[in-house]
Amino acid sequence: MKISVISQNFHRSVNVWSVGFLKYQTAYHIQQYLANLQSQRLNKEKTLDGTIIIVEHSPVYTTGIRTQGYSESEERRLKTLGAEFYRTNRGGLITFHGPGQLVVYPILDLKSFNKSMKCYICKLEKTVIEVCKSFGVEAERSLDTGVWVKDNKICAIGVHGSRYITTHGIALNINNDLSWFSHIVPCGIPDKGVTTLSQELRKPLTITDVIYPFLQSFSHEFECDMKMLSHEVRKDVVNHLKKENLTSDITEAQLLRNNDLKLK
Amino acid sequence: MAVCVNVFHKCLRLPSTLLKLRPVVHKLNATQITRTFCSTNALAARKYTEQHEWIDVQGKIGTVGVTDYAQGALGDVVFAQLPEPDSELNQMDDCGALESVKAASELYSPVSGTVVEKNKDVEETPALINQSPYEQGWLFKIQLSKPEELDALLDEAGYENHLKNTGH
Repeated sequence: MKISVISQNFHRSVNVWSVGFLKYQTAYHIQQYLANLQSQRLNKEKTLDGTIIIVEHSPVYTTGIRTQGYSESEERRLKTLGAEFYRTNRGGLITFHGPGQLVVYPILDLKSFNKSMKCYICKLEKTVIEVCKSFGVEAERSLDTGVWVKDNKICAIGVHGSRYITTHGIALNINNDLSWFSHIVPCGIPDKGVTTLSQELRKPLTITDVIYPFLQSFSHEFECDMKMLSHEVRKDVVNHLKKENLTSDITEAQLLRNNDLKLK
Repeated sequence: MAVCVNVFHKCLRLPSTLLKLRPVVHKLNATQITRTFCSTNALAARKYTEQHEWIDVQGKIGTVGVTDYAQGALGDVVFAQLPEPDSELNQMDDCGALESVKAASELYSPVSGTVVEKNKDVEETPALINQSPYEQGWLFKIQLSKPEELDALLDEAGYENHLKNTGH
């Protein structure tokens, strides 16, 4: 069943694109393409006030701009575990993405929202807290950016802003294998742990169960309507990925299929 | 530093904001009256970008930082990625980033030129950017290759208007 448009007649609107299971690098190129498109103000019809990319990654460790603390030998060590490793331009320290974790990249034009980065981060945290609450999990903010269930982080946040266009985003643990985190100090915070929604609820949840509640919460917190990203723009993205040799026929079909996000 | 009494009294009548800026010091002798002691010239020299950088030009060297509005909007800065000395920059090139609340926000060079110095104190103590965005929180110094580019930047009033008109 296709997700219907979320429309509460807000004066802002964002696109939604659930890209499915993708490698980190491919998703990063999609982010960059959409961010460039967003920054060209003439394209407002195509881009609206932003696009939310929903993705699930194969195992990957990533660092942010404070990357000097992670040596090449550290990088090699983590790769031998079977994960990829990327140094990115986001804020935040090292984290892990993998199957069973809901990763969301809002490519927003903050000129249409509140321009303060501090405010953007706070709204992302509140969005995730509301999602957790809707499943009966009490989560909260703390002095360390992210969303926490007591001393365990349930959602990591790390973003980048360039001329008010945001990239990167959040990673909410649904039913991912937490043992990947044991090989790092997640987000550089040594005396805290990690958890998932499934672990907190003691029952299995999947990403599919959480996507629509997430979008509802985002729509409410950011006061924006949502609609599916047009086929035209998705086709442009796929053509761009083809030129960069970043896509296969399978990936192309996956990216161009109609979004079939299930309503709860 | 020596101060001419005439000039000192002129300063008392200036707005208090000017008095917070660094003085331009000139050599005095008994028979000459100097230029104004207080920093009318420094304030007049400071220009701004719409991305909230400021530049304060003395001779051919511009000192660059981010505005008080910017440091407030960022939150507590935990890391400053600054351009290296000897890097060549064009006006509005992204030349670094400031990290706060797990968000990395890009820095843009207000002018073209060659970076001559980065602020190592800020690299050590990024909080200086929040505490003192116009003084100790300066980010880098650049030797201007095209001083005429300053004309395209906003002056103090222009920047204040920009903040008002764009809903900051």
